[in-house]
Amino acid sequence: MNSSLLTPSSSSSSPHHLQSPATFDHDDFLQNFFSSAPWPSSALDDDAPPPTSDSSLAGFHHHDVDSRNQITMIPLSHHNPNDAVDVNVLYSGFSAGSLPFHFPQGSGGGVMKQSHTQTQSQATASTTTGGTAATPQTKPKVRARRGQATDPHSIAERLRRERIAERMKSLQELVPNGNKTDKASMLDEIIDYVKFLQLQVKVLSMSRLGGAASVSSQISEDAGGSNENTSGQTAAKMTEHQVAKLMEEDMGSAMQYLQGKGLCLMPISLATTISTATCPSRNPLISAVKEAGVPLSPNAATTPLVNVKGASVVTVKDASSVSKP
Amino acid sequence: MASAYNPIYTDVPEKDVFALHFLQTLSNLRTQNSFSSPDNKTSDRVKKIKKAAYVSMARAAGGTNRLWSRSLLHQAAKRNNKNVRFLRRKRRVTWLMRRRSNRGDPIEDVAAERLRNLVPGGGGMETSKLMEETAHYIKCLSMQVKVMQCLVDGLSPK
Repeated sequence: MNSSLLTPSSSSSSPHHLQSPATFDHDDFLQNFFSSAPWPSSALDDDAPPPTSDSSLAGFHHHDVDSRNQITMIPLSHHNPNDAVDVNVLYSGFSAGSLPFHFPQGSGGGVMKQSHTQTQSQATASTTTGGTAATPQTKPKVRARRGQATDPHSIAERLRRERIAERMKSLQELVPNGNKTDKASMLDEIIDYVKFLQLQVKVLSMSRLGGAASVSSQISEDAGGSNENTSGQTAAKMTEHQVAKLMEEDMGSAMQYLQGKGLCLMPISLATTISTATCPSRNPLISAVKEAGVPLSPNAATTPLVNVKGASVVTVKDASSVSKP
Repeated sequence: MASAYNPIYTDVPEKDVFALHFLQTLSNLRTQNSFSSPDNKTSDRVKKIKKAAYVSMARAAGGTNRLWSRSLLHQAAKRNNKNVRFLRRKRRVTWLMRRRSNRGDPIEDVAAERLRNLVPGGGGMETSKLMEETAHYIKCLSMQVKVMQCLVDGLSPK
């Protein structure tokens, strides 16, 4: 007996589905099958095993592609009566119900390689992502192979997961620090980034455009000029005392007071880093900020990073724009 | 991102579109009476500006074409007691439809909930659609932040 392979004679991308004949005459069937040489790419059948298999097989008509349930038709390239047995087995294996199948795009072979002795393993090896799963055994039911499923729900589920993974990849490129491989941490990063951006919008609308007038009136600092610098210093010191007083009563009100002025708390180390990084020439004000940080530093560790923008309002009057965080 | 790779449509317009919309909204805000009076509290002004920022961003990003912007504009209009009715976009029929039923991935479920709370209009979306919207939202937000940053820098005294 010849172990022939079933290969598509044409390079169609869509996998071919099997039609399940209920009864057929082997020789007739095979002759009909082999007589039409080029495999039509859109030759499909509907899911129910047609009772009149002969007529439907003869010249296998082309049905419209139903991407949800199909049964592939598999061209036999070898004219071998011995294959009929395997073919029959294969067909009956595929006959049960619908094989929902999603057309994989680049499946250059929906190839069902069927050899005489290695039917099952080869069928396993050759299935594409859609997962035609029937083990060609003699039982008519389609049994799910390990790792695959023929259930339409699981196919949909897999599809859905693929879509989500795809989008996650594109999101990964957007979010900075998106090199996490773990899905959960990646999602957390995304969420944090969205929160951060929203907070940035809020702070930006608060710091300059919203509170500019009030901030500049309360903290009378100005660029250049030693007079103004000293007055700026005293104003800052006053603010500092005020905040210290407020903090004894209630942290929330202290924060609100600061926020109203467009300021924030930050740890000293951070402040020094930023000041040295952005502009080296803002000494008088920097020292004021640093001192403001001293009594508050134990609590200041909790401020979120984005408030750096707010703190820079104090110093920005001294020089030109602060670099973006 | 090369458009060849990314089949999902998430292009945002350039900075100047955002800037234009934002400035327009700001100038509208300025001509309002309640804004320029000094007895207005800072927090109210801040809130108004923030709202203006979001609304202008939503308009710049594609108006009512995008889900999140549509919901944003709807919220904003409701706050102003304006009854705005948007045209129902013809929904593309996909066979995945709008099933919120998650077939059992608890990790992404929790995160998806949080995302839904963050991104406007995320209430009724499937997770994949939600992530698409999030990507576009992130892009627009960062663009808006850049615009505002430039404004702030430009306006800050030397």
